[in-house]
Order: sequence, then structure tokens, then C-alpha cells
Amino acid sequence: MSVHLDRYAERILNGEEGWAKAKALEVIVKVGEALGADGLVKIKHAHISGVSYSNIGDAGLDLIKKFSESGARFSVPATVNPIGFDLEQPEIFNVDEKYFNKQKEILEALRKMGGDLILSCTPYDVGVIQKYDLKIGDHVAWGESNAVVYANSVLGLRTNREGGPLALMAAISGYTYNYGMHIEENRVPEIEYIVEEPRRGFNEALAGVLAEAIAGVHELETPPLVRVNLTKRLYIKEFFAALGAAGNIAMTYIPGLTPEPLPDNWKPRERVAVEAFILESRLDSLRPKDPKDIDLIYTGCPHMGAEELLELYVLVKSVGKVRKKFIVSIPKSILFDRRLLSIVDELRSLGVTVVKDTCLVVSPLKLENLKILTNSYKALYYLSRKGAKVYLAPLEELVLAAVLEG
Amino acid sequence: MVAFKGRALVKGFAEGEAVVVNEISFYGDVDPETGMLFDGRSLRDKILVSYKPRGSTVGSYIIYALKMNNVSPKAIIMSSSEPIIVAGCVLSGIPLVDGINIKDLKTIKDGDLIIVKEGLVLVNE
Repeated sequence: MSVHLDRYAERILNGEEGWAKAKALEVIVKVGEALGADGLVKIKHAHISGVSYSNIGDAGLDLIKKFSESGARFSVPATVNPIGFDLEQPEIFNVDEKYFNKQKEILEALRKMGGDLILSCTPYDVGVIQKYDLKIGDHVAWGESNAVVYANSVLGLRTNREGGPLALMAAISGYTYNYGMHIEENRVPEIEYIVEEPRRGFNEALAGVLAEAIAGVHELETPPLVRVNLTKRLYIKEFFAALGAAGNIAMTYIPGLTPEPLPDNWKPRERVAVEAFILESRLDSLRPKDPKDIDLIYTGCPHMGAEELLELYVLVKSVGKVRKKFIVSIPKSILFDRRLLSIVDELRSLGVTVVKDTCLVVSPLKLENLKILTNSYKALYYLSRKGAKVYLAPLEELVLAAVLEG
Repeated sequence: MVAFKGRALVKGFAEGEAVVVNEISFYGDVDPETGMLFDGRSLRDKILVSYKPRGSTVGSYIIYALKMNNVSPKAIIMSSSEPIIVAGCVLSGIPLVDGINIKDLKTIKDGDLIIVKEGLVLVNE
């Protein structure tokens, strides 16, 4: 099977629109061919991940620079994921001059191509949807798995998980391959997971553990339909982020939340019951044995939105100053809002380290052997792989642990 | 001599000795500076034969770095390819053949002389 090309795509591949577009589209077409896609789709927006120097190194820098220096410009609006440090507070991340400059080079190359440097993993939280007029049914190419799940499941956008340089190639060419989540019938769930409500309801840590359980058993490429009562935005974000980290899932269908209607007379092929005690006991196994021993508390993975920041503020205010290292990662757009900026300042005066543009997962901070407590299953998943001992608990418990003397 | 027919995802001609790696993830399994595998074998100027690729998202950049550092394999042959490796091979112009079944790939041993021409793979033991 070969990938059908429209006339403009043919022009691009023939080099009539320049080297960069031709190369970028060649990548898209070949990947489509490998996957068995029948054609291409035009995209309206791209979100480019894989931009931290820690992750992509000189190889990634060289490649991005090669495209940028060839004069390439993005064909569609494109936003950019977090980098290795906070541009205003690089010292927090112990970056040396070389690292600093290399990371700046990556940013400069992306900016030259037209990249919108939001430096956040939550494009859905920072005004991108409004700014670029993204609507239900629009095709996009997003990297960053948590954002991909959010886009498909809540926004009705259509995107596969465009890892590595694929979102970048899509941004340059303006196309992606017609495959997976871009095709209507692949978005219709076949298996329904009915989740029993835990005794005290869900929190974000339980939502993460639920995602781990579903990712562990769900093997189909169609989205799992999950009947679950996630009452806060934070729980939903952590659920999606954990689904993206623990599995290959690009979408989940949540009745009441997912905007696309199910087909008439839809019935699941299979129903799976998820019992609350399994989630509760899994979370118990991930909780810190002795919260006093925790070296570092981390929240804001994915980046914290306004609602979560306010909640954190109320919690920290209620206990007074934090006594442990407590890091929160936020999108820089939070600081553009004067009211939220003053809350960030207050949090800082209460001992909380608030950073933007980055997160612990993509920063070069050495975390080996540190005991870290987080409310994010995704952070637990990736920071464990960086050699830290990571524990999971909801936000309230993070704040309580923060006032215990070590 | 044995011949296998696969699909040339990235077309090209290459000739070299086989290095067989059952599962490969370019990120973590290969040093992009030296082209050395985690087990001490070198990919430089070899024909990489792999049954199962594991796609870590940084893999494409590693393949590109291998090429830039002149330590890349001359071609890659696998049973089924995945997006990150395809992207890496297109960006670095490394011939890539997939669609050869694992049973056939398993007859190839380290050091066998291999010629890759489009989708055709010739193996000389």
C-alpha cells in the first residue's frame, strides 16, 4: 500500500517548496508507509516535544539547527514543550554555561522557524486552544503524551503521539499521516471499564494508579471507555498524564467529558470492572513509609494550572512555612496574570520553589538516591527511571509532609 | 548465498558485515559518539539486523548523531519498523528494509556479508 499524496504534497516532495519541507514531508510519508497509512492529513497546529537538551543532546540540537538554518519556517502554528531549566532561574538546576548555551540554541532555532515558546507541557491550559482557534474535529500533531491524551479525550482534537522529531516534521511540512486517532472509527471505544468509587472518592494519586491499572490491561488501539467520577481538573490531568506514561494510550473516552458522541446503539464488546480496593492497596504500596525521610517534594507534573495553584496556596498557607525542599513547576503564562503572580510570590515567601519553563523530568537535576514525594504518577514513573526513590500521595499529604522535620 | 525480499522504506545500496541485535532501542543501547553497542560490538559501517525495534522517542536523534559522527550502520534491516526508527533513517539517509520475517532474519549471523539493494537483501555466510 502506498500513501496517497495531494498535489501540494507532491510539489513539496519534488523540492519545489525547498529542502526543509521536502525532507520533513519525506519523513512523514515514510512513517505513514511503515504504518500502512493510506494518505496524509493537513494539520492545523503542532506541539513540539523533545526540546530539552538533557533529552536530545547535540544530535537533536544539530538536527533542529540544520532545519532552522536552511531557512525553514513552520507551515502551521507550533508551540513548544518545556526545556531543561527556568530561563530566569537557571541556577536552581545547576546548569553549566555549555548546557545553558546549547539549550538557548535549541530555543533560538525553534523561534526562528516560528515556534511559540510557551515552554509548557499543558498547551490546553495556557490559551493555545483559543489563540489558534482549535476546534473539535481539527487535526493536529502533538508530541507530549499527557497533552495528546487531553487533546483527544477532552478537546476532540485528533492527534497521534508524535514523539521524537515527528511533531517538528509535521510543523514544517504542515501534514501528518492519516492513521490512528485521525481516523473516525479508531476513536470509537470497544471496551468499557467501570470503576468503583473509592471509599473517600478519587484524588489525583488514585487517578494515577487507576490509569496504571488500565494501561496494564488495555491492549486495543481503540480508546478505553472509562466510567469514572473524577471531580477535579487536577484528577483528570493526572489520570491522562499517567495513561500516557504507563502505556501507549493516545485517547480515553470518558462519558460526560469526551465531546464526541458515541455511535447510535453503541455497546461495548467487553465490560471490565475495576474494584476500588485494588487501587487503594496499590496506592498504599506507593505511599511513603515515613514521610519524615522525604528529601524533596514535587508537584506540577503536568504543569500546574491556575485552579491547582490556588488549591496549593490554600494548603500551604494553612500549615505555614514549608520545611522541606518543595518544588512546583508551572507554565510561564501563570505569571502574566497579576493575581496569580502574587500567589506565586506568596508561595515563594512560604518556602516553596516555584519554577516555570521546565520540570524535574526534563531538567538535568541529579536525583539519584533522593527520596521524592509527588502527587503525579507520571513524575513517579519517570523520576524512578532517573534513579530516585519516588513515592505517591495526594497534594494534601505532600503539604503535610513538607512541614515535618527530617 | 540466500536472498530475502523485503520493503525498502529508505532506498539505497549498502554492503557490509551483519551485526545482529535481537531487540534494539537506539536510546540507551547505542553510544552516539562511538557507535558502540552496550555489549561492546560496533555498528560502524555494519549492516544492523534487528528483530524487534523498541521505539524510544529520542531514537531518531541518536540515529542522526551516529550518521553525523560517521559511526552509523550502512543499512538497517528489520522485521517490522516503527516510526522513530523510520524517521531517524530518513533524516540520515540510512537505507532501511523492513517486512522480512523474523524466521528468515534469524538465519543471519554476526559477520555474514550482506548486500542491501532496494528491498532485496543478499546474505553470504
